[in-house]
Amino acid sequence: MDIFLQQLINGLTIGSLYALVALGYTMVYGVMKLINFAHGDLVAFSAYVGLTIFTQFYGSNALNLVNIVIVFSLTAIVVAFVGVLLERLAYRPLRTAPRLSAVVSALGASLVIQNGIMLIWGPNMEIFPSDVFPATSWNFGGVIISFTQLVILALSAVLMIALYIFINKTKMGTAIRATAIDQDAAKLMGINVNRIIVIIFVVGSMLGAIGGLFIGIYYRGLTFDMGWLYGLNAFIAAIIGGIGSIPGAMLGGLLLGLFNAMIAGYISTEWAETFTFILLIVILILRPTGLLGEKTAEKV
Amino acid sequence: MNLKKLTGALALSAVVASSLVAADTVKIGVQAPITGKYANEGQSIENFVKLIADEKNAAGGLLGKQIEVITCDDEAKAQKAAVCAKKLVNAGVIADIGSYTSGATEDAQTTYYRNKVLQTSDGTSDSLIKRKYWTFFRNSFPNSSQSDFTAEYMVNTKKYKNIVVLSDYSSYSAGLGDATEASVKALGGNVVFRGKIKAGTQNFTAMLTKVKAMNPDVIYYSGYYTDGGLLRAQQQQLQINADFVGGDSNDNPDFYKLAGKAAEGTVLINFPTPEILPYEVAKKYLAAYKETFKMNPPSIWPVTNADGLRAVIEGVEKTNSFDTKKISDYIRNDMKDFPGITGPFNIRADGERVGAKFVVYKMKNDGTKNVVSE
Amino acid sequence: MNRTTSIATLFLVVMAVFPFLVDSAWLSIGITFLVFAVVAFSQDIILGRAGIFNMGHAIFFGMGAYTTAILNVHFGFEIIATIPFAIIIPVIFSILLAGPIIHLRGDYLLVATIGFNIIFEQVLSNDVFGLTGGPNGIFGIDVVRIFGYELYSDTSIYYIAFGLLLITLLIIRNLDTSKYGRALYYINKNEIAAKSMGINISYYKLFAFALGAAIAGAAGAVFAIQYSAVSPESFNFMQSVMFFAIVLVGGSASLPGIIIGTFVMFVLPELFTEFKESRYLIFGAAMVLTMILRPNGVWPAKFGNIPSFLKKKVAKQEESK
Repeated sequence: MDIFLQQLINGLTIGSLYALVALGYTMVYGVMKLINFAHGDLVAFSAYVGLTIFTQFYGSNALNLVNIVIVFSLTAIVVAFVGVLLERLAYRPLRTAPRLSAVVSALGASLVIQNGIMLIWGPNMEIFPSDVFPATSWNFGGVIISFTQLVILALSAVLMIALYIFINKTKMGTAIRATAIDQDAAKLMGINVNRIIVIIFVVGSMLGAIGGLFIGIYYRGLTFDMGWLYGLNAFIAAIIGGIGSIPGAMLGGLLLGLFNAMIAGYISTEWAETFTFILLIVILILRPTGLLGEKTAEKV
Repeated sequence: MNLKKLTGALALSAVVASSLVAADTVKIGVQAPITGKYANEGQSIENFVKLIADEKNAAGGLLGKQIEVITCDDEAKAQKAAVCAKKLVNAGVIADIGSYTSGATEDAQTTYYRNKVLQTSDGTSDSLIKRKYWTFFRNSFPNSSQSDFTAEYMVNTKKYKNIVVLSDYSSYSAGLGDATEASVKALGGNVVFRGKIKAGTQNFTAMLTKVKAMNPDVIYYSGYYTDGGLLRAQQQQLQINADFVGGDSNDNPDFYKLAGKAAEGTVLINFPTPEILPYEVAKKYLAAYKETFKMNPPSIWPVTNADGLRAVIEGVEKTNSFDTKKISDYIRNDMKDFPGITGPFNIRADGERVGAKFVVYKMKNDGTKNVVSE
Repeated sequence: MNRTTSIATLFLVVMAVFPFLVDSAWLSIGITFLVFAVVAFSQDIILGRAGIFNMGHAIFFGMGAYTTAILNVHFGFEIIATIPFAIIIPVIFSILLAGPIIHLRGDYLLVATIGFNIIFEQVLSNDVFGLTGGPNGIFGIDVVRIFGYELYSDTSIYYIAFGLLLITLLIIRNLDTSKYGRALYYINKNEIAAKSMGINISYYKLFAFALGAAIAGAAGAVFAIQYSAVSPESFNFMQSVMFFAIVLVGGSASLPGIIIGTFVMFVLPELFTEFKESRYLIFGAAMVLTMILRPNGVWPAKFGNIPSFLKKKVAKQEESK
């Protein structure tokens, strides 16, 4: 039983990370119907930025709460800035162009960010110091949960709840939802669509940045091309949950993490990824709008 | 439109012109992972080759010709290796030093063989010698000798009861893992689990949780340091009380960084590290390396590759020719106990290196290792 | 002869004598250029003409290459004998894989093809049945032997690839003027209208997939021959992305566009190896810029209102009246 719980904890941890990144994808897709392929690379970028801020300002000593908050906030701001730049340069000019052109632009932007990382930090692997968070872990009758894992689970939950409140209970959130449903109608209602899109990129990038920083702290080995793998997994999570649906992205992320851990733990580690993608395809065939996606009347 | 055609023609002729190279050099190729996760190994291989080439050139060159080093980055990827092989062959090298990984070496092997270009590599996978290409010789030791030594250590010296063997999917690592499992069983040891992880996926908690249930007293990992370090860190995080024994490719400074505090007490089985090599020629070259590049080589592998190059140079000088078949015959048949930086060695007829010595190290947190037994 | 045709002829003539103009390094690049151009054309049939968002095309390319590799290295087939299999096996899989997803809307189909591509990569990397060789792939592929005569020089491989390109161009010309080509064009333009005209959408879309897969498979075989080795990372998602981008950057359903696209996406980075580090960055930026400046591709097909192949037919019918 404790093996099962252990896999559960492991799965939920990585699932929370997927969820944070998936939110960025789903928000952009919901409003712009664009798959932001560059998002995964932004996440990788944030890990690198976070690492640099740590080592430049604090050396590698364990940090207290205030410093950690500062580092996380700084990283989030830098990444949000890059995210807005990305939107302005690569996506805005293509608002009226055929859909596929925007996809190619996204792919190009992804390459730029990836190689930008390589040029700035070099092609070798960068390693996060292991004592950002204290290395304590607690043993509950055979199930180990580490401090880092706890922080990830707790903070992700808080962020997701905050986002949910933002989207559903605030005026801005309503404006975002309206733009997602119908951009033109939203414009007629006096909503500044450009501003909404910028906000989406800011929020999505910040969440992705926090996810990226956690990935750096938890997994520790950073390579410049690590973004696309996490990005792909997070994107799958968004699709499983229902692309365009924010609760869907959260659910999809957690489910994906769990699914992965369970398959890897109980069936086979070598085929864990394959099973994930088979799950994706099955969902696409049976219920393409995902678990929490709206059942639209659109022909799929 | 005409401008387009004109520029096209100009570009084409520029390309053709640039391919006419000045003649009086002999070219040595380096095929190694200059970028990518094993970049510090690949860069070090290139550094060593350049060090030796520069030394030779300063002393008058090889048979009077200056050595020109041409490097191709194979990123430790099999397809890039095949591309690099073609590139280096087309550039006219007489020998290739590389690659660092057995996989990249294997994928390039046939191209070098077909074009009669010598190749030497530190790859330890037994399959590298399988085809017995006369163009290839190994400058490190085969997996099978390492696995015997490892099994002896784990079963007879440490008397472990529940042994877990992990590897990744590469031909080198899976081969070493399988060989070790077989050697352990041959000595009567008990392998409770044999598993494979995917290199580079970073998250091994699922596999380790599975392993934990088997109550291992030792986890042996036959893959590379980029994954080994993380495995060790995650093992500690999951509070699995077992020793960690790493195969030769875990030997790299990045292992410490990735494993963090968990590195303390891990055991590594490898060739002697460069710093503890007792030979005069070793001290000389390592000092020269440190002076030129301001750091030590990350592991023994660039040094064995340096020995490979030195053997080729020896072959050229002793046969007084650049004929690769003659050089290969010399190295296999006539060269006896060549004074390598990594110890005296011979090359067998099938290209295998004979003369290998292993050491067991215990790692400490500050990045140093202590020799535990030999 | 109009301008496009004369440029096309010039191009083909230059390519025909290419091996005698350049050194071996460039010859190698030339062969890979031809192979990738063929794959790009096959992707164009699916993406450019039929409008199916296929981002997993490397699967069929890879299947062709691996079929040749496996049959030759593990089963001792002669290379020539592997080629029919390298064509048929991708076709079979294209129908098996595309069948269940063919009815999906654009983006979802895209994601499904990505999923298939990743699964394919995993199957290759995990050394299934000991056949696919793991992450290091399969190496030591034989040379082409015809009637006991070995064709292993790069020049002969070049001409094999060139021949493949010519065959591909012929197939595409025929496709354009045939019933299938017209059906694909209508489906791309407006699927619902096409359906109401009685066109069986799934049938023609699957046909596009199968044809694309067949051509890509053949190209895969040539690729395997060129490098004597195959490995999973040559057929991964990134490769599919490249083929996808070639079609869009060059210009969908446009013959010169695809050639330009292949040149831009593949040959240009090779030209700029001096900028080793920043090559791909510039490349990515160029992709973004190209899409902004020319959203329909560098050399888009001039469809206008009525495509030329229809104009010709109508003109002929008028004449014969």
